[in-house]
Amino acid sequence: MTRNHVIALARGTFLETVRDRVFYLVAVFGFIMMGSTTILSPLTIGAQGKIVSDVGLAAMTLLGLLVVVFVGSGMVHKELDKGTITTILSRPVGRREYLLGKFLGLNLTMAAMLAVMSVLFLLMLLLSPGAFSLRFGIAFYMAFIELSLITAIVVFFSTCVSPVLSAVFTLGAFVAGHLSESIRDFGHLQQGPVAQAVGTVVYYLLPNLEVFNVRGSIVHGDPVTAAHIGLATLYAVCWSTLLLLLSGAVFSRRELRG
Amino acid sequence: MSRQVVAENVPHARARAMAGNRPELDLGTPGAEPGIAAEPALHVVDLTKSFRSGFARREIRGIEGVSFTVARGEVFALLGHNGAGKTTTIGCLLDLVRPERGEVKLLGRDHRDRVSRARVGYLPERPYFFDYLTGRELLEFYADLQDIDRRERTGRIDEVLRQVDMFSDAGRRLNKYSKGMLQRLGLAQALLGDPDLLILDEPMSGLDPMGRLEVRSLLLGLKKQGRTILLSSHIVPDVEQLADAVGILRDGRLVLNQRLGSLADACSYRVRAGAPAATVLAAAVPLWAMSAVDPASAGAVTDLSAADPRQLRELLEACDRAGLAVLAVDSQRSGLEDLFLTTHRRGGEA
Repeated sequence: MTRNHVIALARGTFLETVRDRVFYLVAVFGFIMMGSTTILSPLTIGAQGKIVSDVGLAAMTLLGLLVVVFVGSGMVHKELDKGTITTILSRPVGRREYLLGKFLGLNLTMAAMLAVMSVLFLLMLLLSPGAFSLRFGIAFYMAFIELSLITAIVVFFSTCVSPVLSAVFTLGAFVAGHLSESIRDFGHLQQGPVAQAVGTVVYYLLPNLEVFNVRGSIVHGDPVTAAHIGLATLYAVCWSTLLLLLSGAVFSRRELRG
Repeated sequence: MSRQVVAENVPHARARAMAGNRPELDLGTPGAEPGIAAEPALHVVDLTKSFRSGFARREIRGIEGVSFTVARGEVFALLGHNGAGKTTTIGCLLDLVRPERGEVKLLGRDHRDRVSRARVGYLPERPYFFDYLTGRELLEFYADLQDIDRRERTGRIDEVLRQVDMFSDAGRRLNKYSKGMLQRLGLAQALLGDPDLLILDEPMSGLDPMGRLEVRSLLLGLKKQGRTILLSSHIVPDVEQLADAVGILRDGRLVLNQRLGSLADACSYRVRAGAPAATVLAAAVPLWAMSAVDPASAGAVTDLSAADPRQLRELLEACDRAGLAVLAVDSQRSGLEDLFLTTHRRGGEA
């Protein structure tokens, strides 16, 4: 694995995606923030700051998810389809390097977008008295590592299925990942060992994305411990590594017809 | 606006480009791994690949038993119709497609060894790159992948941009480029690493006559520099002007592998003689000499043919014996196009 190759691929991916009008979504975020302030605030006397921050944080995650899923699902496939990948892999570049570069490039794009949205978010909070807090940094960070894990999922699916299926599976993994604890608990409430086993297997097969959801705690002022942040980071790193290793194994066997 | 291809005047940048930390192959330098320099640039033995397609996973033959060798400094052309297996062969050479059987040595090394590709430049058919990068940014991206030293990079990029006459357009984004410009930029990225072996898949595909002329001039310049080039094409005149040797692919099989020098030696002859009655002519000259005679014509002359010098001598002796006046003898060179068509016709009849 050559570091320079990975950096070049990540940089190329970042430039390509950033210039592909991805940042228009930031404008959507701005509208959502302004909308939540002007429409919802009058309905929530005394809790405007909480509503604005809750909606804003959820919008950040969802818009980040849209970028990751819709850019990521077609990214590898487009290069396969158009043959761009052949000019890359005909050089002394390994397929795992290629995937890692794409993963990091997409992460960079997503991080840049989150950073811009975070600034917008904090500026909006300044308009709501008493809502501003540096603790929102924790929510931004957790959103980033969650979306980073989603990026690994989309990279994995993009190596083995079509862009549409890749997008559908990744969105499915996002929803199921947030419900995995509920699925396990639901299985345990059922009679019979099969339902319980299915619930447990689904829980362990899917990443538990709820560990990254600290929005409620941040908005309502509940504590989020450093241990929780550290373990969530480790959890995301382990899952991402596993998914990238699997992606590499699948992609290494793939035929790249020029 | 006229464009001038200046390939012939490009200074050889090998030493400078190699100043980087690229993995190097032996180019005959002192202390290099023995034996590799003497190896051909490309050695392919018994390359076989089939694909599975459709719901029933029906097997489709890509290529079968393809073998050929390209010596260093040689231009070798793979000729064949669309779907003959040219791109699959090239894909196998670059480890993009995994063959079921066969051996490939790129510049003396196994093609699966990534290092073997460090000194190879590749242009795919209908190159497509990142739309939102500029031409220069794209070459910077490839320079990083090629491990070209940062201090040398800008100079090298300028050099290849001038070589393909794209220097003034390098600041524009690729989605504003025409097809011909993309093709030239594709050639620039292939030349960027100052490769010992260039693999070009249909380099003149989709270009207008002017574009084809420019690319051909560029390739002729590279040939003069002594580069080894493997190119695939279905445009015979282009190949005829560029290639030293040609391999003809038909239905995934290499049905002919021939040097074009030996092809140039092959001539047929036309003997123009005074025309006697058809019955007299038939009795006087061998039957093979009359293959080009039109029985319906009733002119003052008749054209007889001979396939080689031996037949020509035999025909002239027969004319002399029969008292036929020989008015002219022309030699006609058998072109690559004839060979290509004959090879395919033979295949079609088989």
